[in-house]
Amino acid sequence: MLKSIHRSASLALVGGALLLCVSLALGLSACGSSSGAAPGSSGIKAPPGVQTPVAESQTGGVRGGTLTVLNHQDFEHLDPGQAYSSVDYEAMYATQRPLYSYKPNTFATPTPDLASGPPEISSDRKTVTVHIRSGVRFSPPVNREVTSADVAYAIERGANESVANPYFASYFGSLEGASKATGGAIPGIATPDSHTIVFHLVEPKAQILASALVLPLSAPVPAEYARKYDAHKPTEYGNYLVATGPYMFKSNGAGRVLGIGYEPGKSATLVRNPSWSAATDYRPAYLNQIDIQIGGDPNVIGRQVLEGSHTVQNDTPAQAIVQLAYEQHRSQLEISPGAGTNYIAVNNHRGPFANVNVRRAFWAALDRVAMNKARGGELVTNVMTHFIYPEIPGFEQAGGLKGPQVDYNAYPSGNAQIAAKYMRLAGYSGGRYTGGATLQVVGATGSPEAEDAEIVNQTLRNLGFKTKFSLVDKSVMYSKFCGTPAEEIDVCPNVGWAADFGDPQGVLDVTFNGKHIEPTGNNNWGQVNDPTINRKMEAAEPLVGTQARAAAWAAIDRELVTQAAAIPFAFDKEPNIEAHDVAGVGDVWNIGSWDYGFTSLK
Amino acid sequence: MSPFDGADTPEATASPPPSAASPGAMRSASPDSGPAEESLLRVEDLRVTYATEDGTVQAVDGISYELGRGRTLGIVGESGSGKTVAALSVLGLTRAEGATVSGRVSFEGRDLLALEESELRAIRGDEIAMVFQDPLSSLHPMYRVGAQIVEAIRAHRDIAKAPARARAIELLELVGIPEPSVRVDSYPHELSGGQRQRAMIAMALSGDPKLLIADEPTTALDVTVQAQILALLSRLQRERGMALVLVTHDLGVVAEMADEIAVMYAGRIVEHAPAERLFAVPEHPYTWGLLRSIPTLDGPREELLTPIPGSPPSPLAPPSGCRFHPRCPYSEPEHARTDPALEPVPGRPDHEIACLLSSPTRRRLWKELA
Amino acid sequence: MTGYVVRRVLWGALLLILVSALTFVLFRILPTADPARLRAGHNTSPKVIAEIRAGLGLNKPLLTQFWLYMKGLFLHGDLGYSYYSGASVKSLIFDRLPATLSLTVGSAVIWMAIGLPIGIVSALRRRSRTDRTAMGAALLFISAPEYWLGLIVLYLFAADIGQIKVFPGAGSYAGMTADPQKWVTSLILPWLVLAAGFAAVYARLMRGSLIETMGADYIRTARAKGLPERQVVLRHGVRAAITPILTIFALDVGVLLGGAVLIETVFDIPGIGRLNYDAITHADFPIIQGTVLLAALFIIVANIAVDIAYAYLDPRVRYS
Repeated sequence: MLKSIHRSASLALVGGALLLCVSLALGLSACGSSSGAAPGSSGIKAPPGVQTPVAESQTGGVRGGTLTVLNHQDFEHLDPGQAYSSVDYEAMYATQRPLYSYKPNTFATPTPDLASGPPEISSDRKTVTVHIRSGVRFSPPVNREVTSADVAYAIERGANESVANPYFASYFGSLEGASKATGGAIPGIATPDSHTIVFHLVEPKAQILASALVLPLSAPVPAEYARKYDAHKPTEYGNYLVATGPYMFKSNGAGRVLGIGYEPGKSATLVRNPSWSAATDYRPAYLNQIDIQIGGDPNVIGRQVLEGSHTVQNDTPAQAIVQLAYEQHRSQLEISPGAGTNYIAVNNHRGPFANVNVRRAFWAALDRVAMNKARGGELVTNVMTHFIYPEIPGFEQAGGLKGPQVDYNAYPSGNAQIAAKYMRLAGYSGGRYTGGATLQVVGATGSPEAEDAEIVNQTLRNLGFKTKFSLVDKSVMYSKFCGTPAEEIDVCPNVGWAADFGDPQGVLDVTFNGKHIEPTGNNNWGQVNDPTINRKMEAAEPLVGTQARAAAWAAIDRELVTQAAAIPFAFDKEPNIEAHDVAGVGDVWNIGSWDYGFTSLK
Repeated sequence: MSPFDGADTPEATASPPPSAASPGAMRSASPDSGPAEESLLRVEDLRVTYATEDGTVQAVDGISYELGRGRTLGIVGESGSGKTVAALSVLGLTRAEGATVSGRVSFEGRDLLALEESELRAIRGDEIAMVFQDPLSSLHPMYRVGAQIVEAIRAHRDIAKAPARARAIELLELVGIPEPSVRVDSYPHELSGGQRQRAMIAMALSGDPKLLIADEPTTALDVTVQAQILALLSRLQRERGMALVLVTHDLGVVAEMADEIAVMYAGRIVEHAPAERLFAVPEHPYTWGLLRSIPTLDGPREELLTPIPGSPPSPLAPPSGCRFHPRCPYSEPEHARTDPALEPVPGRPDHEIACLLSSPTRRRLWKELA
Repeated sequence: MTGYVVRRVLWGALLLILVSALTFVLFRILPTADPARLRAGHNTSPKVIAEIRAGLGLNKPLLTQFWLYMKGLFLHGDLGYSYYSGASVKSLIFDRLPATLSLTVGSAVIWMAIGLPIGIVSALRRRSRTDRTAMGAALLFISAPEYWLGLIVLYLFAADIGQIKVFPGAGSYAGMTADPQKWVTSLILPWLVLAAGFAAVYARLMRGSLIETMGADYIRTARAKGLPERQVVLRHGVRAAITPILTIFALDVGVLLGGAVLIETVFDIPGIGRLNYDAITHADFPIIQGTVLLAALFIIVANIAVDIAYAYLDPRVRYS
């Protein structure tokens, strides 16, 4: 997914398997080698005393109590058919049950949630069959048991323009009849019985569709209840939504959430879902209630959490607060790995950066350590050396933390001589740019984006470029400049990515595949269109099985590094803070939010 | 030491010998009375200085006079002569502006300068009242005229609002304002200039004062209205036996009303005489200047007015010696060195003058001028 | 007088329409994010964005959009609908208004109660140590950024994160009817912080105005009447000095009623200021229109109220 427009934090990888192995060295279950045990786990150590979601216990919590959550940001969409930001997800996965979900400590291996077992993929990779558990019921006022038809409706409504699900086209577009779907029944989705759903595709892309079933889009929606709301443009279902998870947004007898369980910009309240049955769910759901307060100053919120009781913050804390937590409340700080990446998109299509050696020169010249320092340093970032990030399968195969050892990648602080070398290879005999073009550089306002953009601008100047440098609001940067190929922006220093699910295709495809260059809302910001890479992606897409996919996409990652398709700088780690009396369990996969289904009070 | 010495005993004053040198020697009110009447107000060597950023300003530099009951004293001078400050200092109104006041101001035997503010307040508006130059700015613009008079009444007497208001209406009628029961609710800006001044006089009279100090009461008014106001003051004074100090720059104003006139220049009294004498045989060149600069009805139309050359001295840096010498047409070089004292004219103890020229010289010069 | 008031009210209405139009145009011309794209969020399909634009009515010509808006406003009192928040603009605004009202009225009372007496004392004791200290402190509070002061005050006195745990911390605002005690205690710190800067300004204003008034001739007359000094200062001096201050007061209150964004953010009070700020971040035009209109309305009303009050305060002022 696009890293939420409001996010600015970086993530930190915490020593996953290695730490686990060390702590279990007293003869408990074998861990195996660090690279083989958990596909994607990165082997990065956490600073001592700091928590990591990989190591947090998922059992043994105390039942009961109300957790207070302080969020600086508001929700964007509560409707599972529309949610896509990490703030939305934190509520989504406590209240909705997609077919598959991730347990807190992994982003690589999904667990059946509404489904009763793993997805069955046909040998021709054009059919996916999923069986649904019995005994899962909707919350009041619907109350009845969930059937496969509800899952079908949930996905079908994604194509309805009043819902406009962001992922439908990318991941479900290969369903039979999807291209013509507008919210009505899709021929490619069949429900042979009340607890089975079968997806028929026109292309062999079953693996991708199966992986995408972790998205909230597959959480069931009762058609007879939701249809009237979906008839509004845009849909009103989010104001009246029902839940299948352990918690629900507080609502009145008619199911109205707006004004009761959610007051936009002010607060939200999650209460236990009376229809939820613990026997059908792997989540312990210790808490009785979750009170979310929205707004306020991040510094104040941070302190209220660190010095308070039964409180957590669920969006990214301010840098000063992370520092404070690290120095004075270390046990209340959690650093979550695999929170995505930050990199610089350079125009592969036109201009000086269309030349691969110029791109390599820029890569060599950039001081990635300085870039990360502006984001908070080693606590919340690692130097990015290739494109698949930690916790995603394929990370190790693509080079792990060190990355492919080409000379322009070998110096995290930058190396002027190597930069000069590549400039010469590009045809600038003096080692610096001597052409007449002025580069258009568009970054984002705010901290640390502006500081990073400044470093980029300076690096370009040092390479001999003239730049036209501007900073705009981040949403404008994406929607108007960097996301519109026609603008032909040369350098976008503040782009980033986080995958929608734990599959390397989710990291590389939309962002580097030539066929995904869109005229508006483009996410292949560098307009990368290398035929070899495109072909490899085409071939890797239908592969089935984590290991096979990891290997194939890791190879593509290496190729992207060879082509210097974009200039990486930060593997993000997400910090989270809790009060001293909260046993918080964070999710590796949702950019490191606290998981309400597993968190308990002390 | 006289057996009558003591602050509260009225002092019999004898004419001092002609050679008494100190400025500020006392004078009796009238040379023709027998044992001198009790003077209502006696000012002795009043000095008022202000400390400003540019230096010390000597606004009033040692003046003395006496005023009997029911009598009128006119104090005349140009702007900057100190006449207004002198008037204000009697009531201690310059204290608020941070002035340093020295000397003695005896009112019915009590030294007003030595009183506490609270004691002085009891006298202000009650036994001594004051009327000011510009009634539009001197009356509060946001309160009705009647309310301001009522305020003055109730400041000194324990009266309820209704009777006080009735009294206010009476006073307005007394000063000649038409429809007083309507006008009592007017705001100052709703009245004409003359009516405003009458209202202010009404307010001053509300305490039935023994002494009324009027600082340029007619300057802001039309000529015809001026005459009316002066007539009013005159009538009120006679009816009530009130003493009046009339401060003005206009000799014409005091000609009719004053019993005695004191001419002030540069913070000092330079000539002090009964009114008829001052107009008949003035002895100070400054007074001559003042008299000659008054336009007369029967003079030729083309005759130019004769102003006094030059301008009043800056109170920060008064001229050395005789303060008038830079503007005096008759000054001699040694006049810049010697400061004349206020002394009686030979043979006329009620006529005082501060001038270095000899009296015969002065009389000769006046004859030539007139 | 009635004619005057009627004329002013009509002009006010015209001004509101102008303000509305200006906001309308500005937000659609300036390079802010396209609300349709923001609403669409991640969805890149141009077809979908176009559908959303149509749904938001952004496709119609500007004039038509404006006409529809004005029609809805004047005929139905309808301020539009916020798709982003899923609620009508009117309900959102009325929901947030009590908090802003509480904040404004409370701090106005406090700043006048503190600032005016200090100004009066300073004017009377000009250049004394009291005066210099008071005016120095005033300068400090005027210069202190509101936001910073808010943070300091929280770090010192908030019950959750402060050094001396006296007052409820940020985010503890409760509605007046819901929990009166909490309503008051949660507002004390925000009131004080908001009042600090204003009290300082009003102290200086009062000082200046009173110094000028006390030099007037009618003060001399009041003293000459033998009035006690207290009466001279208050009934004569302050009475005249206060009129310009009331003008400014009405304007300040009018502006504050449009929302005090900084205070509302630091103390996490759900008021109009924050509603406006959040709406701007999301390019939620209907809310922005509504809050701007509301702010303009408050200022216009404040202006008219002041003019009317002036006629009563200063009898020299007359409106034909």
